[in-house]
Amino acid sequence: MTRIVLVPGVLALLPEYAGVTDPVADLRAACLEAVSSLGNDVTVVGDTQGERVAAYLLAATLRNFDEASVLVVGNGSARRTEKAPGHLDERADTFDADLGRALRAGDTDALGDLDRDLAADLLAVVDPIAALAGLLPAGAHGEMLYEDDPFGVKYWVMRWNR
Amino acid sequence: MTLRLGRQSFPDDATLMMAIVNRTPDSFYDKGATWAEDSAFDRVAQVVDEGAEIVDIGGIKAAPGAEIHADEEIRRVGSFVGRVRAAYPDLVISVDTWRAEVARAVCGEGADVLNDAWGGADPALVDVAAEHGAAVICTHTGGAQVRTRPHRIEYVDVVAAAITDTVAYAERAMAAGVPRESLVIDPAHDFGKNTFHSLEITRRLAEMVATGWPVLVSLSNKDFVGESLDLPVGERLIGTLAATAVCALAGARIYRVHEVVETRQVVDMVATIAGRRPPARAIRGLA
Repeated sequence: MTRIVLVPGVLALLPEYAGVTDPVADLRAACLEAVSSLGNDVTVVGDTQGERVAAYLLAATLRNFDEASVLVVGNGSARRTEKAPGHLDERADTFDADLGRALRAGDTDALGDLDRDLAADLLAVVDPIAALAGLLPAGAHGEMLYEDDPFGVKYWVMRWNR
Repeated sequence: MTLRLGRQSFPDDATLMMAIVNRTPDSFYDKGATWAEDSAFDRVAQVVDEGAEIVDIGGIKAAPGAEIHADEEIRRVGSFVGRVRAAYPDLVISVDTWRAEVARAVCGEGADVLNDAWGGADPALVDVAAEHGAAVICTHTGGAQVRTRPHRIEYVDVVAAAITDTVAYAERAMAAGVPRESLVIDPAHDFGKNTFHSLEITRRLAEMVATGWPVLVSLSNKDFVGESLDLPVGERLIGTLAATAVCALAGARIYRVHEVVETRQVVDMVATIAGRRPPARAIRGLA
């Protein structure tokens, strides 16, 4: 069995950016719960910043399973609202809705055929998410632990056992 | 070093607000606003609500004026300390007095700290502190007599003098039995000092911090601020806060203040800039 987890590459999760209070406490709890279900041999799929977030989450969890595991670090648009990091782009909502639907449905065709140019415009980090197309069986059902956009950036925390 | 102020201990990265509560009819800043006991009690409630960790209750203004004997000083602050203690069992209560006799009375009522603004004028004060487990603020006055203004006082090196005298005072208190973690040194801005002295003390406060003794600063609305900016009492808050920022960057631990909220914000902001305290909540650019 391969265990797969998706988390967003939120830098606020990193200890070097900790404040007195945690602005991403709920997200952090969900990420830690998801990553805790991975095995001890984890392949990370993410960009440079995503790899740092992954390294933190892996170091912060005790994982004693002997199964192959993949930790994917990616997220939806960062242009969902006027206060979002990239300000509002009207296309963000549809883009994220479609991507969220594909993740829930295990729609590997859709995940493998994401519009990378639009994703770049929307500041979405989807290259790692596209890799799920080759990791998940078509129609794989994942468990959604967190889905929200508290800062105008779309986050999903999901896990799959296949 | 962990700081123990009577019933409370504080870690060595904690900064503390000591709010001034006057039981005097004539103090320079509030001019008797809390002379009535209920007004002083309301002031305690206000500063506790504002987040002060310590209240510093005083029954005699620092400047020269009508002589107040010990029995009158005790009448002003003794039972009041007891009233505050009953209402706030965990609050650190300091009493601004130089007299051992008064110190004994207020320790009996629950005081935690003896703020000896006149630098050991009464040598028996430290014995009372040791006897009651109270902390002592060891101030530098340059030998000035109690309740006098400085007149033509000069120093070869005011910072060296402040360090030598306050550390000697602290060591004398230790010898009397006051624990090291219950001793604080205070350069005492304006006390036995002209404005140039107080400015130099401010500029070089890091040298006092480097002694390893926790440092208290009492800057609030004082004459060195007023003379620096040519502003009367009542218009010195911004200057006070600028001096506060400089002392905070140097590492002062306790701030004796009239304005708790403003000082807390300055001290926290400086501690955050200095990397001693994280931001309250950081998400900008990190989502």
